[in-house]
Amino acid sequence: MANTSSVNEKETMGMKTKRTVLSIIGTAFFAVLSFIIVFPLVAGLIASFRPGTELIRRGLSVDLDFSSMTLANYKYLFGNNVDGQKYFMWYKNSLILTAVSVVGTLFICYIVAYGLTMYNYKLKNFLFFLVIATMMVPFEILILPLYKEMISLKLIDTMAGVVLPGLCGASTIFFFRQYMTGLPKELLDAGRIDGATEYGICFKIMLPITKPAFAAMSILCAMGAWNNVLWPMLVFRSAEKFTLPIGLNTLLTPYGNNYDVLIAGSMFGIIPVFIVFLCFQRYFIEGMTAGAVKG
Amino acid sequence: MSKFKKFFYSQKAAPYVFVLPFILSFALFWIYPLCSTITMSFQEIKPAGTEWVGMANFVKLTKDTVFHTAILNSFEYMILTLVLLIPFPMLFAVLMDSRLVKAKGFWKACLYVPALTSVVISGTLFRLMFSEYQTGQMNVITAALGLGTFKWLKMKATGLAALLIVACWRWTGVNMLYFISGLKAIDTALYESADIDGATAWQKFRYVTIPLLKPTTIYVLTISVYAGLAMFMEAYMLWAGPDSPNNIGLTIVGYLYKRGITKNQLGYGSAVGIVLLVIALAINIVQLILNGTFKKEED
Amino acid sequence: MKKKVLATLLSVTMIASVLAGCGGGSDTPAADSGTTATDDGAADAGASDDGAVDAGEEAPADEAAAEEEIPTSTFGDPNGTHLEMWTFVELHGQHYGNMVEKWNEQNPDRTIEITCTTYPYADMHTKLLTSLTAGTGAPDICDVEIGQFPNVIEGLDTWLVPQDDTAAPYLDTMVQARMDVYSGSDGHYYGIPYHVGATVMYYNMAVLEEAGITQEEVDAVVTWDDYAALGEKYLAAIGNEEGKYWTSVDTAGCDWLWIAMAEYGDDWTGGFDGTANVQLDSVNKMLTMQQNWVNNGLAMVSPDGHVDLEAGFQNILDHNIVSFPKAMWYMSRFTNYMPEEKGNWYIAKCPVFEAGQKCSVGIGGTGTVVTQQAVDKDLASEFLCWAKMSEEGEQLIWDNLGFDVCNTVLWNDDAFAHDDNNQYNQFFRNYPYDVLYEIKDDIGTIYTVRISPTINEQMCNVTLNDILENGVDVSEALQAAQDVVDLEQ
Repeated sequence: MANTSSVNEKETMGMKTKRTVLSIIGTAFFAVLSFIIVFPLVAGLIASFRPGTELIRRGLSVDLDFSSMTLANYKYLFGNNVDGQKYFMWYKNSLILTAVSVVGTLFICYIVAYGLTMYNYKLKNFLFFLVIATMMVPFEILILPLYKEMISLKLIDTMAGVVLPGLCGASTIFFFRQYMTGLPKELLDAGRIDGATEYGICFKIMLPITKPAFAAMSILCAMGAWNNVLWPMLVFRSAEKFTLPIGLNTLLTPYGNNYDVLIAGSMFGIIPVFIVFLCFQRYFIEGMTAGAVKG
Repeated sequence: MSKFKKFFYSQKAAPYVFVLPFILSFALFWIYPLCSTITMSFQEIKPAGTEWVGMANFVKLTKDTVFHTAILNSFEYMILTLVLLIPFPMLFAVLMDSRLVKAKGFWKACLYVPALTSVVISGTLFRLMFSEYQTGQMNVITAALGLGTFKWLKMKATGLAALLIVACWRWTGVNMLYFISGLKAIDTALYESADIDGATAWQKFRYVTIPLLKPTTIYVLTISVYAGLAMFMEAYMLWAGPDSPNNIGLTIVGYLYKRGITKNQLGYGSAVGIVLLVIALAINIVQLILNGTFKKEED
Repeated sequence: MKKKVLATLLSVTMIASVLAGCGGGSDTPAADSGTTATDDGAADAGASDDGAVDAGEEAPADEAAAEEEIPTSTFGDPNGTHLEMWTFVELHGQHYGNMVEKWNEQNPDRTIEITCTTYPYADMHTKLLTSLTAGTGAPDICDVEIGQFPNVIEGLDTWLVPQDDTAAPYLDTMVQARMDVYSGSDGHYYGIPYHVGATVMYYNMAVLEEAGITQEEVDAVVTWDDYAALGEKYLAAIGNEEGKYWTSVDTAGCDWLWIAMAEYGDDWTGGFDGTANVQLDSVNKMLTMQQNWVNNGLAMVSPDGHVDLEAGFQNILDHNIVSFPKAMWYMSRFTNYMPEEKGNWYIAKCPVFEAGQKCSVGIGGTGTVVTQQAVDKDLASEFLCWAKMSEEGEQLIWDNLGFDVCNTVLWNDDAFAHDDNNQYNQFFRNYPYDVLYEIKDDIGTIYTVRISPTINEQMCNVTLNDILENGVDVSEALQAAQDVVDLEQ
């Protein structure tokens, strides 16, 4: 803006002030929004520094009464005891499962969406209809048949059994497809003229400019995999394969809840993910836009 | 071999190679379970054996008032989430994408963090926040505003409000991210030329952003229709199970869960699932046809 | 460009594995202990005096569990018969672990190794039903919560192993009603109980004494009218202070109604063969009485529905209510969540409508079953019955799980019932087992059958809310409930 030399100084100053004011308003808006969104988690965080009995005593209180706050829950969580060891075992399992399913899902869904977008052929619309249809099937009704199938495929109690059925995530395919319809098809022909194969075009030309979609989907898939309870629970049979949500769920029983480990464990489950997201989202989002279509 | 190779690399075969994983996964993990479910919806499944009951399950559904409540609740919730969770995240995304906001990364992370929070914990937190006891956070707030305390999870209106608050909490950030990624695909040259033509911010939003964001919007709309109709986890979180006073938090999938899983009535549960499938599919197909998503793009 | 994306994906994986490395408790002991050390330091620096005390209190309780190195729960002889056991409460699993060690000592020729897996509550039952239906994948032994029992029992002996023969040696000392609860429509016993879950009345004697009410007056309560009158006296003594009530009535739990039915010898399920009828006089009487109490300020509606919830505990801690009926297992809620109430509470038997009626009913519970998919059904059954019904087993159930055991002989066994090292004996003003022994012959049974979940759901979702929150006429609300129940039978 400032380099447009024809504008006189006074106006530039005026615009600058206006921009600053708008910028403050914009930033403040998100600050308030973020505060509201993070509030319940802050309450949880505060509760995690108090013994479980305090949670019962005060409810989910956000008062910062330091005298009642201790690190006991976290000490216990990190301590050399069964609960602590179990907790980190769940944690590790969750991270591995999430990483595997995110990488797998993104790859598979990208190529499927590519096949559904970049070519014109007879079955295209029918296949797309099938994709949409699979999105509409409530997973709960498929559980029993799918479980039987996993047993006959000998995939029970394996990571493959958990990951495979979700690998072709319809909503992820759909998102990639929607994203790719906005991309210029001329690039394909340009690639063909340059002598690239169909697969070369897919991976070398189109993939880089689809990166923003990858960014958004990696986050979405990670969230799905990280929070998935029902299906992993059915597939995994041995306790040493349990993931974090399954493990945390075992702390809530009709015979009383283990609040100490539950709240502290859950909070500790969020913090690293939050930090990773914060540090790496530059690569996830901003960094990737470098490859986005510019013209 | 080389003939096969040639075919494999041809422009005709390539799309099928690309969609092959989907076809495989569809055949393996969808066709069989789905057929099995459709079959079950015409049966009554008992440990001693399976009995064909024809349309009996569906006939029972037409008389089941609890199921009607569930459908009504799901529709109400879906429509309200569409109103809340499409325009606002879109506006937030545009604002976030502008140069006006500082420390974007941090705010995005904050808005996104609920999605990464395990349902187990967010459920416990919100249930405590919406407790009718005076120490429940929502009651602390309403009492401070002089509105007195509410039995949040016992009344229809406040129960629905609680559900919508939880939904917005979980999904605003996610939907915003969809739109942000959609915005990245818009050619910046279009904005530059709009600037040259002297377009106002509103005009740019109305005539450049909204039309070009359409594919993303359709996506968000489609998944929101289904997610709204199939909502279950949020209600399960708030009422610590599929039961709620006067069924104010009962949804279609909640009913499916209760019948098919808690009560182990697989036949009846499957029938509920089929009804949901048909409704969601119908709405979305109509919506997608109206939006022209199935149109063949001209080359 | 492709490389860049791959690099990004790889880096995600790496971050994940790095984090996993830090967290890997069992894999990387060095890294783990490093983390622990740092945290201990931080804790010591940060925690105030109070904090240090708290931390100190927490630690010993868990020290015992810390013996084990690997966080799996396999117990017993690795060369013995291997049994899989599922539960949804970790402590239950540990009970079998302890019992297996004793079993192996006594039966060196038939040793057992048992793996106990703790699953989330709802999911465990889903998983059990799924694998029973599928005919494969079920464990040998499994805990089943009573609310879920009708689903599991539906398969009768095609799914589960009848326990009649293996339970026979213990039956003469067991509370018959609790065995019946876990029996199938074919009359066989399929589940072995942990506890009676007998309902008793809990009184906050410390608060009552401040209001000038003595323990003799509480003991003198026989009927519900006496109970209400004592409540009026209490409220008058504290000047009818706002927000204070004698008791709280539940909108999300049927305990009060079960008590009423047991007193009149009714059962709304009608047992295995009968038809369900919720319009019983006993139920109507109880609800009418409760509605009156709510209207005249004697009772409040339990916050969030019943007393066994966070808000319910707060309500008790704030002394908003000073008495309520609940099963004996509620004692552990006091010790776990309301430790500051130690020494305040007194346990007495529940009032009745007419003198001479039964005054208690077994509520809640978990029956343990042996599935037909078990590798060695006889051994699993024999072990299960011994672990849960023998005196050794019952002793551990009381000490570790805090349940009112089903073996009546122990109830007046001085060493067992009056052990002053027991935390419940220390917590309450009187010995819980003294009350239980007193009501020994007055414990009724309500069956849990196929229609039970439907009745329970209708009551907790609609009927109780209508009557107690919205002031709907009791008979009308019960008629509406009956209509819904009729649709299902």
